[in-house]
Amino acid sequence: MRGGFDYLRPRSLEEAQEWKARTEGSRYVAGGTDLLVRMKEGKEHPAALVSLRRVPELSGVRHDGVTRIGTATRIGDCLDDAALVARYPVLAQAMTTMGCVQIRNLATVGGNLCTASPCADLAPPLLVLGARLSVRRAAGGREEEIPLEQFFVGPRQTQLGPHDLATAVVLDAPSAGRTVFFKKTRVQMDLALASVAVLLELDGRTCRKARVAAGSVAPTPRRLEAVERVLEGQVLARELVLQAEQVARECVAPICDVRAGDAYRRHVTGVFVRRAVEHLLGAERP
Amino acid sequence: MKHSLAFVLNGSPIVCAVAPSDLLLETLRDELGLTGTKEGCGRGECGACTVLLDGRPVNSCLLPALEVEGREVTTIEGLARGHELSDVQQAFVERGGIQCGFCSPGMILSVQALLARSADPKEDEIRAALVGNLCRCTGYVQIVESVKAAAERRRGRP
Repeated sequence: MRGGFDYLRPRSLEEAQEWKARTEGSRYVAGGTDLLVRMKEGKEHPAALVSLRRVPELSGVRHDGVTRIGTATRIGDCLDDAALVARYPVLAQAMTTMGCVQIRNLATVGGNLCTASPCADLAPPLLVLGARLSVRRAAGGREEEIPLEQFFVGPRQTQLGPHDLATAVVLDAPSAGRTVFFKKTRVQMDLALASVAVLLELDGRTCRKARVAAGSVAPTPRRLEAVERVLEGQVLARELVLQAEQVARECVAPICDVRAGDAYRRHVTGVFVRRAVEHLLGAERP
Repeated sequence: MKHSLAFVLNGSPIVCAVAPSDLLLETLRDELGLTGTKEGCGRGECGACTVLLDGRPVNSCLLPALEVEGREVTTIEGLARGHELSDVQQAFVERGGIQCGFCSPGMILSVQALLARSADPKEDEIRAALVGNLCRCTGYVQIVESVKAAAERRRGRP
Protein backbone atom coordinates (compact mmCIF):
# COMPACT_ATOMS: atom_id res chain seq x y z
CA MET A 1 0.00 0.00 0.00
CA ARG A 2 1.16 3.51 -0.78
CA GLY A 3 2.80 5.41 2.04
CA GLY A 4 4.51 2.44 3.60
CA PHE A 5 4.24 1.51 7.24
CA ASP A 6 5.65 -1.12 9.52
CA TYR A 7 3.42 -4.01 10.57
CA LEU A 8 3.97 -5.61 13.95
CA ARG A 9 2.34 -8.83 15.15
CA PRO A 10 2.62 -9.23 18.92
CA ARG A 11 1.64 -12.56 20.43
CA SER A 12 0.51 -11.45 23.89
CA LEU A 13 -1.12 -8.51 25.66
CA GLU A 14 2.17 -7.50 27.26
CA GLU A 15 3.96 -7.56 23.92
CA ALA A 16 1.16 -5.59 22.29
CA GLN A 17 1.25 -2.78 24.83
CA GLU A 18 5.03 -2.78 25.07
CA TRP A 19 5.57 -2.62 21.31
CA LYS A 20 2.86 0.00 20.94
CA ALA A 21 4.41 2.24 23.57
CA ARG A 22 7.91 2.07 22.13
CA THR A 23 6.90 2.45 18.44
CA GLU A 24 6.40 6.08 17.64
CA GLY A 25 3.44 6.93 15.45
CA SER A 26 1.87 3.49 15.85
CA ARG A 27 -1.81 2.56 15.90
CA TYR A 28 -3.51 -0.60 17.06
CA VAL A 29 -5.33 -2.48 14.29
CA ALA A 30 -7.63 -5.48 14.40
CA GLY A 31 -9.98 -5.95 11.43
CA GLY A 32 -8.77 -2.80 9.72
CA THR A 33 -12.08 -2.23 7.94
CA ASP A 34 -12.20 1.34 9.16
CA LEU A 35 -8.54 2.23 9.72
CA LEU A 36 -7.20 0.87 6.42
CA VAL A 37 -9.87 2.75 4.49
CA ARG A 38 -8.99 6.01 6.26
CA MET A 39 -5.32 5.41 5.56
CA LYS A 40 -6.09 4.94 1.87
CA GLU A 41 -8.07 8.17 1.95
CA GLY A 42 -5.10 9.97 3.50
CA LYS A 43 -6.97 10.76 6.72
CA GLU A 44 -4.61 8.75 8.92
CA HIS A 45 -0.90 8.10 8.39
CA PRO A 46 0.45 5.85 11.11
CA ALA A 47 4.10 4.98 10.83
CA ALA A 48 3.33 1.49 12.09
CA LEU A 49 0.38 -0.78 12.78
CA VAL A 50 0.33 -3.05 15.82
CA SER A 51 -1.94 -5.94 14.89
CA LEU A 52 -4.05 -7.46 17.67
CA ARG A 53 -5.14 -10.46 15.63
CA ARG A 54 -2.68 -12.92 17.14
CA VAL A 55 -3.12 -11.95 20.79
CA PRO A 56 -5.07 -14.93 22.13
CA GLU A 57 -6.43 -13.11 25.19
CA LEU A 58 -8.29 -10.70 22.91
CA SER A 59 -10.24 -13.18 20.81
CA GLY A 60 -13.13 -15.38 21.78
CA VAL A 61 -16.42 -15.37 23.61
CA ARG A 62 -16.66 -16.79 27.15
CA HIS A 63 -19.86 -17.43 29.02
CA ASP A 64 -19.81 -18.05 32.73
CA GLY A 65 -22.29 -15.90 34.61
CA VAL A 66 -21.14 -12.84 32.74
CA THR A 67 -20.30 -13.01 29.05
CA ARG A 68 -16.95 -11.65 27.92
CA ILE A 69 -16.38 -10.91 24.24
CA GLY A 70 -12.71 -10.34 23.40
CA THR A 71 -12.36 -7.04 21.56
CA ALA A 72 -10.49 -8.65 18.66
CA THR A 73 -13.27 -11.18 18.11
CA ARG A 74 -14.58 -10.98 14.57
CA ILE A 75 -18.24 -10.14 14.07
CA GLY A 76 -18.68 -13.30 11.99
CA ASP A 77 -17.31 -15.43 14.81
CA CYS A 78 -19.72 -13.81 17.26
CA LEU A 79 -22.63 -14.71 14.98
CA ASP A 80 -21.40 -18.31 14.95
CA ASP A 81 -21.53 -18.42 18.77
CA ALA A 82 -24.96 -19.94 19.34
CA ALA A 83 -25.02 -19.06 23.03
CA LEU A 84 -24.23 -15.40 22.33
CA VAL A 85 -26.96 -15.16 19.71
CA ALA A 86 -29.49 -16.85 22.01
CA ARG A 87 -28.66 -14.80 25.11
CA TYR A 88 -28.34 -11.39 23.46
CA PRO A 89 -30.49 -11.43 20.31
CA VAL A 90 -30.47 -7.63 20.06
CA LEU A 91 -26.69 -7.73 19.66
CA ALA A 92 -26.91 -10.45 17.04
CA GLN A 93 -29.55 -8.44 15.18
CA ALA A 94 -27.21 -5.47 14.97
CA MET A 95 -24.30 -7.66 13.91
CA THR A 96 -26.20 -9.13 10.97
CA THR A 97 -26.75 -5.60 9.63
CA MET A 98 -23.06 -4.74 9.67
CA GLY A 99 -21.55 -4.43 6.21
CA CYS A 100 -21.52 -7.77 4.46
CA VAL A 101 -20.08 -11.25 4.92
CA GLN A 102 -16.58 -10.15 3.92
CA ILE A 103 -16.57 -7.22 6.32
CA ARG A 104 -17.94 -9.36 9.14
CA ASN A 105 -15.11 -11.83 8.60
CA LEU A 106 -12.57 -9.07 9.22
CA ALA A 107 -14.19 -6.46 11.47
CA THR A 108 -14.14 -6.84 15.23
CA VAL A 109 -16.34 -5.92 18.18
CA GLY A 110 -13.61 -3.79 19.71
CA GLY A 111 -12.88 -2.05 16.45
CA ASN A 112 -16.50 -0.98 16.06
CA LEU A 113 -16.53 0.51 19.57
CA CYS A 114 -13.04 2.03 19.64
CA THR A 115 -13.43 3.62 16.19
CA ALA A 116 -16.39 5.26 17.92
CA SER A 117 -18.17 6.47 14.84
CA PRO A 118 -21.49 8.03 15.86
CA CYS A 119 -22.97 5.34 13.58
CA ALA A 120 -21.36 2.38 15.40
CA ASP A 121 -23.88 -0.42 14.97
CA LEU A 122 -22.94 -2.33 18.10
CA ALA A 123 -23.29 0.64 20.43
CA PRO A 124 -27.09 0.95 20.72
CA PRO A 125 -27.63 -2.74 21.57
CA LEU A 126 -24.69 -2.81 23.97
CA LEU A 127 -25.94 0.35 25.66
CA VAL A 128 -29.39 -1.10 26.34
CA LEU A 129 -27.73 -4.29 27.63
CA GLY A 130 -25.71 -2.25 30.12
CA ALA A 131 -22.40 -3.42 28.69
CA ARG A 132 -19.04 -2.53 30.20
CA LEU A 133 -15.73 -2.29 28.43
CA SER A 134 -12.69 -3.83 30.08
CA VAL A 135 -9.67 -1.59 29.45
CA ARG A 136 -6.02 -2.18 30.19
CA ARG A 137 -4.45 1.17 30.89
CA ALA A 138 -0.95 1.74 29.57
CA ALA A 139 0.46 3.01 32.82
CA GLY A 140 0.95 0.14 35.22
CA GLY A 141 -1.13 -2.20 33.07
CA ARG A 142 -4.07 -2.09 35.46
CA GLU A 143 -7.37 -3.35 34.14
CA GLU A 144 -10.58 -1.44 34.76
CA GLU A 145 -14.17 -1.68 33.59
CA ILE A 146 -15.83 1.36 32.04
CA PRO A 147 -19.59 1.49 31.55
CA LEU A 148 -20.10 1.83 27.81
CA GLU A 149 -22.29 4.89 28.28
CA GLN A 150 -19.24 6.74 29.63
CA PHE A 151 -16.90 5.46 26.94
CA PHE A 152 -17.87 7.65 23.98
CA VAL A 153 -16.72 11.24 24.36
CA GLY A 154 -17.31 12.65 20.88
CA PRO A 155 -17.26 11.62 17.22
CA ARG A 156 -14.37 9.13 16.95
CA GLN A 157 -13.27 10.05 20.46
CA THR A 158 -13.27 7.72 23.43
CA GLN A 159 -11.92 7.53 26.93
CA LEU A 160 -8.93 5.54 25.68
CA GLY A 161 -5.48 7.12 25.98
CA PRO A 162 -3.07 6.51 23.08
CA HIS A 163 -1.58 3.32 24.52
CA ASP A 164 -4.62 2.02 26.40
CA LEU A 165 -6.09 -1.20 25.11
CA ALA A 166 -9.73 -2.29 25.31
CA THR A 167 -9.64 -6.01 25.99
CA ALA A 168 -13.23 -7.23 26.31
CA VAL A 169 -16.88 -6.30 26.23
CA VAL A 170 -18.52 -7.53 29.43
CA LEU A 171 -22.22 -8.35 29.57
CA ASP A 172 -24.23 -9.42 32.61
CA ALA A 173 -26.45 -12.46 32.30
CA PRO A 174 -29.51 -11.49 30.25
CA SER A 175 -32.46 -10.07 32.15
CA ALA A 176 -36.11 -10.83 31.51
CA GLY A 177 -36.26 -7.88 29.13
CA ARG A 178 -37.45 -8.12 25.55
CA THR A 179 -35.30 -6.40 22.98
CA VAL A 180 -35.27 -5.22 19.39
CA PHE A 181 -32.93 -3.27 17.10
CA PHE A 182 -33.84 -1.22 14.04
CA LYS A 183 -31.44 0.37 11.58
CA LYS A 184 -32.31 2.63 8.67
CA THR A 185 -30.06 2.60 5.62
CA ARG A 186 -30.41 3.59 1.98
CA VAL A 187 -29.09 0.28 0.65
CA GLN A 188 -28.19 -3.02 2.28
CA MET A 189 -24.55 -2.17 2.93
CA ASP A 190 -24.56 1.34 4.29
CA LEU A 191 -23.86 3.30 7.43
CA ALA A 192 -26.98 3.72 9.53
CA LEU A 193 -28.68 7.07 9.10
CA ALA A 194 -30.54 6.28 12.30
CA SER A 195 -30.54 3.24 14.54
CA VAL A 196 -32.46 2.42 17.70
CA ALA A 197 -32.24 -0.38 20.27
CA VAL A 198 -34.89 -0.88 22.93
CA LEU A 199 -35.07 -3.15 25.95
CA LEU A 200 -38.31 -3.38 27.93
CA GLU A 201 -39.09 -5.42 31.02
CA LEU A 202 -42.85 -5.79 30.90
CA ASP A 203 -45.52 -6.92 33.30
CA GLY A 204 -48.51 -7.16 30.98
CA ARG A 205 -48.62 -3.67 29.50
CA THR A 206 -46.80 -2.10 32.44
CA CYS A 207 -43.18 -1.22 31.82
CA ARG A 208 -40.95 -2.05 34.76
CA LYS A 209 -37.70 -1.09 33.07
CA ALA A 210 -36.92 0.71 29.83
CA ARG A 211 -33.60 1.15 28.09
CA VAL A 212 -33.51 3.04 24.81
CA ALA A 213 -30.38 3.87 22.79
CA ALA A 214 -29.81 5.47 19.42
CA GLY A 215 -26.98 5.72 16.93
CA SER A 216 -26.21 8.09 14.07
CA VAL A 217 -28.37 10.87 15.50
CA ALA A 218 -25.96 12.57 17.91
CA PRO A 219 -22.20 13.13 18.20
CA THR A 220 -21.99 9.77 19.95
CA PRO A 221 -24.20 6.71 20.28
CA ARG A 222 -26.21 7.33 23.42
CA ARG A 223 -29.00 6.28 25.70
CA LEU A 224 -32.19 8.30 25.32
CA GLU A 225 -32.88 8.72 29.02
CA ALA A 226 -35.70 11.16 28.40
CA VAL A 227 -37.55 8.46 26.47
CA GLU A 228 -36.81 5.91 29.17
CA ARG A 229 -38.37 8.22 31.78
CA VAL A 230 -41.56 8.49 29.71
CA LEU A 231 -41.92 4.71 29.59
CA GLU A 232 -40.65 3.41 32.93
CA GLY A 233 -43.23 2.55 35.57
CA GLN A 234 -46.08 3.34 33.20
CA VAL A 235 -48.86 1.40 31.53
CA LEU A 236 -47.90 1.57 27.86
CA ALA A 237 -51.14 2.89 26.42
CA ARG A 238 -51.18 4.27 22.89
CA GLU A 239 -50.98 7.93 23.93
CA LEU A 240 -47.92 7.23 26.05
CA VAL A 241 -46.18 5.44 23.18
CA LEU A 242 -46.86 8.44 20.93
CA GLN A 243 -45.47 10.69 23.64
CA ALA A 244 -42.31 8.56 23.72
CA GLU A 245 -42.04 8.95 19.95
CA GLN A 246 -42.27 12.73 20.29
CA VAL A 247 -39.69 12.87 23.08
CA ALA A 248 -37.34 10.69 21.04
CA ARG A 249 -37.55 13.12 18.14
CA GLU A 250 -36.76 16.03 20.45
CA CYS A 251 -33.90 14.54 22.41
CA VAL A 252 -31.56 13.66 19.54
CA ALA A 253 -29.18 15.97 17.70
CA PRO A 254 -28.65 14.61 14.20
CA ILE A 255 -26.55 16.19 11.47
CA CYS A 256 -27.58 16.72 7.89
CA ASP A 257 -25.27 14.99 5.44
CA VAL A 258 -25.22 13.13 2.14
CA ARG A 259 -27.00 10.12 3.65
CA ALA A 260 -29.99 11.98 5.09
CA GLY A 261 -31.24 15.32 6.36
CA ASP A 262 -31.50 16.06 10.06
CA ALA A 263 -35.29 16.33 10.03
CA TYR A 264 -35.61 12.90 8.46
CA ARG A 265 -33.20 11.37 10.97
CA ARG A 266 -35.25 12.81 13.83
CA HIS A 267 -38.41 11.48 12.29
CA VAL A 268 -36.98 7.99 11.83
CA THR A 269 -35.71 7.93 15.42
CA GLY A 270 -39.21 8.63 16.67
CA VAL A 271 -40.77 6.06 14.37
CA PHE A 272 -38.27 3.41 15.44
CA VAL A 273 -38.95 4.06 19.13
CA ARG A 274 -42.70 3.75 18.57
CA ARG A 275 -42.35 0.65 16.41
CA ALA A 276 -39.97 -0.95 18.88
CA VAL A 277 -42.38 -0.50 21.79
CA GLU A 278 -45.32 -1.74 19.73
CA HIS A 279 -43.29 -4.73 18.60
CA LEU A 280 -42.18 -5.61 22.10
CA LEU A 281 -45.70 -5.28 23.50
CA GLY A 282 -46.85 -7.81 20.95
CA ALA A 283 -43.80 -10.07 21.11
CA GLU A 284 -43.67 -13.57 22.52
CA ARG A 285 -42.23 -13.96 26.01
CA PRO A 286 -38.45 -14.64 25.83
CA MET B 1 12.42 -4.18 4.22
CA LYS B 2 10.83 -7.36 2.93
CA HIS B 3 9.52 -10.10 5.17
CA SER B 4 9.25 -13.73 4.22
CA LEU B 5 5.62 -14.87 4.15
CA ALA B 6 4.70 -18.58 4.19
CA PHE B 7 1.12 -19.65 3.65
CA VAL B 8 -1.03 -22.14 1.76
CA LEU B 9 -2.31 -20.82 -1.55
CA ASN B 10 -4.94 -22.78 -3.46
CA GLY B 11 -3.97 -25.93 -1.63
CA SER B 12 -0.19 -25.66 -2.01
CA PRO B 13 2.38 -24.21 0.36
CA ILE B 14 4.07 -21.08 -0.89
CA VAL B 15 6.69 -18.62 0.34
CA CYS B 16 7.05 -15.10 -0.98
CA ALA B 17 8.60 -11.78 -0.01
CA VAL B 18 6.31 -8.97 1.11
CA ALA B 19 6.75 -5.48 2.49
CA PRO B 20 4.95 -4.88 5.81
CA SER B 21 2.59 -2.44 4.13
CA ASP B 22 1.66 -4.76 1.25
CA LEU B 23 -1.99 -5.71 1.09
CA LEU B 24 -2.94 -9.26 0.13
CA LEU B 25 -4.57 -7.99 -3.07
CA GLU B 26 -1.27 -6.42 -4.14
CA THR B 27 0.74 -9.51 -3.27
CA LEU B 28 -1.60 -11.80 -5.20
CA ARG B 29 -1.68 -9.67 -8.33
CA ASP B 30 1.73 -8.00 -8.45
CA GLU B 31 4.04 -10.43 -6.70
CA LEU B 32 2.39 -13.74 -7.57
CA GLY B 33 0.86 -12.82 -10.93
CA LEU B 34 -2.60 -14.07 -9.94
CA THR B 35 -4.70 -11.42 -11.59
CA GLY B 36 -8.05 -13.16 -11.22
CA THR B 37 -8.65 -11.20 -8.01
CA LYS B 38 -9.69 -7.68 -9.00
CA GLU B 39 -9.49 -4.25 -7.43
CA GLY B 40 -12.84 -2.50 -7.74
CA CYS B 41 -13.09 0.11 -5.01
CA GLY B 42 -10.13 -0.62 -2.73
CA ARG B 43 -12.36 0.16 0.27
CA GLY B 44 -14.12 -3.09 1.06
CA GLU B 45 -17.41 -2.02 -0.51
CA CYS B 46 -17.62 -3.81 -3.87
CA GLY B 47 -16.23 -7.30 -3.19
CA ALA B 48 -14.31 -7.60 -6.47
CA CYS B 49 -11.23 -8.39 -4.39
CA THR B 50 -12.90 -11.20 -2.44
CA VAL B 51 -10.76 -14.22 -1.60
CA LEU B 52 -11.34 -17.02 0.88
CA LEU B 53 -9.24 -16.96 4.04
CA ASP B 54 -9.52 -20.30 5.82
CA GLY B 55 -12.65 -20.79 3.74
CA ARG B 56 -14.25 -17.46 4.65
CA PRO B 57 -14.77 -14.57 2.26
CA VAL B 58 -12.73 -11.46 3.04
CA ASN B 59 -11.79 -8.28 1.18
CA SER B 60 -8.17 -8.72 0.15
CA CYS B 61 -7.89 -4.95 -0.45
CA LEU B 62 -8.09 -4.33 3.29
CA LEU B 63 -5.98 -7.26 4.50
CA PRO B 64 -2.26 -6.80 5.14
CA ALA B 65 -0.45 -9.68 3.41
CA LEU B 66 1.45 -10.60 6.58
CA GLU B 67 -1.85 -11.53 8.22
CA VAL B 68 -2.19 -14.67 6.08
CA GLU B 69 0.96 -16.25 7.48
CA GLY B 70 0.30 -19.91 8.19
CA ARG B 71 -3.25 -19.68 6.86
CA GLU B 72 -5.09 -20.91 3.79
CA VAL B 73 -5.95 -18.57 0.97
CA THR B 74 -8.18 -19.52 -1.95
CA THR B 75 -8.35 -17.34 -5.04
CA ILE B 76 -10.49 -17.84 -8.14
CA GLU B 77 -7.53 -19.56 -9.76
CA GLY B 78 -7.89 -22.29 -7.15
CA LEU B 79 -11.33 -23.49 -8.17
CA ALA B 80 -10.85 -25.07 -11.55
CA ARG B 81 -8.84 -28.28 -11.98
CA GLY B 82 -6.73 -27.61 -15.02
CA HIS B 83 -9.30 -26.71 -17.67
CA GLU B 84 -12.20 -28.31 -15.83
CA LEU B 85 -14.35 -25.63 -14.23
CA SER B 86 -15.74 -26.13 -10.74
CA ASP B 87 -19.47 -26.78 -10.40
CA VAL B 88 -20.15 -23.19 -9.34
CA GLN B 89 -18.14 -21.78 -12.23
CA GLN B 90 -19.94 -24.10 -14.65
CA ALA B 91 -23.35 -23.05 -13.32
CA PHE B 92 -22.46 -19.37 -13.77
CA VAL B 93 -21.38 -20.00 -17.35
CA GLU B 94 -24.52 -21.97 -18.18
CA ARG B 95 -27.01 -19.63 -16.49
CA GLY B 96 -25.68 -16.26 -17.68
CA GLY B 97 -24.29 -15.33 -14.28
CA ILE B 98 -21.23 -13.82 -16.02
CA GLN B 99 -21.37 -10.83 -18.39
CA CYS B 100 -18.31 -8.60 -18.28
CA GLY B 101 -16.74 -10.92 -15.73
CA PHE B 102 -15.22 -8.28 -13.48
CA CYS B 103 -17.29 -9.14 -10.40
CA SER B 104 -17.23 -12.84 -11.17
CA PRO B 105 -14.12 -14.05 -9.34
CA GLY B 106 -15.22 -12.45 -6.09
CA MET B 107 -18.84 -13.41 -6.63
CA ILE B 108 -18.04 -17.05 -7.32
CA LEU B 109 -15.81 -17.34 -4.27
CA SER B 110 -18.55 -15.89 -2.07
CA VAL B 111 -20.93 -18.46 -3.54
CA GLN B 112 -18.40 -21.20 -2.91
CA ALA B 113 -18.36 -20.23 0.77
CA LEU B 114 -22.16 -19.95 0.93
CA LEU B 115 -22.71 -23.44 -0.46
CA ALA B 116 -20.17 -24.87 1.96
CA ARG B 117 -22.38 -23.63 4.82
CA SER B 118 -25.82 -23.97 3.28
CA ALA B 119 -26.84 -26.76 0.91
CA ASP B 120 -30.21 -25.38 -0.18
CA PRO B 121 -30.18 -21.61 0.16
CA LYS B 122 -33.35 -19.72 -0.67
CA GLU B 123 -33.26 -16.45 -2.55
CA ASP B 124 -33.16 -14.26 0.58
CA GLU B 125 -30.22 -16.17 1.95
CA ILE B 126 -28.38 -16.02 -1.38
CA ARG B 127 -28.88 -12.29 -1.67
CA ALA B 128 -27.81 -11.73 1.94
CA ALA B 129 -24.64 -13.73 1.33
CA LEU B 130 -23.85 -11.64 -1.76
CA VAL B 131 -24.53 -8.16 -0.31
CA GLY B 132 -20.80 -7.51 -0.45
CA ASN B 133 -20.38 -8.45 -4.12
CA LEU B 134 -21.61 -5.73 -6.46
CA CYS B 135 -22.46 -6.51 -10.08
CA ARG B 136 -23.21 -3.79 -12.61
CA CYS B 137 -24.19 -6.05 -15.49
CA THR B 138 -26.61 -8.80 -14.52
CA GLY B 139 -29.05 -7.17 -12.13
CA TYR B 140 -28.29 -10.25 -9.96
CA VAL B 141 -31.16 -12.30 -11.39
CA GLN B 142 -28.99 -14.74 -13.33
CA ILE B 143 -26.54 -14.82 -10.46
CA VAL B 144 -29.25 -16.06 -8.08
CA GLU B 145 -30.30 -18.62 -10.69
CA SER B 146 -26.70 -19.77 -11.09
CA VAL B 147 -26.38 -20.28 -7.36
CA LYS B 148 -29.59 -22.27 -7.16
CA ALA B 149 -28.49 -24.41 -10.11
CA ALA B 150 -25.11 -25.10 -8.54
CA ALA B 151 -26.73 -25.99 -5.22
CA GLU B 152 -29.20 -28.32 -6.90
CA ARG B 153 -26.49 -30.05 -8.86
CA ARG B 154 -24.48 -30.56 -5.69
CA ARG B 155 -27.45 -32.00 -3.84
CA GLY B 156 -27.97 -34.43 -6.71
CA ARG B 157 -24.47 -35.83 -6.32
CA PRO B 158 -23.84 -38.45 -3.64
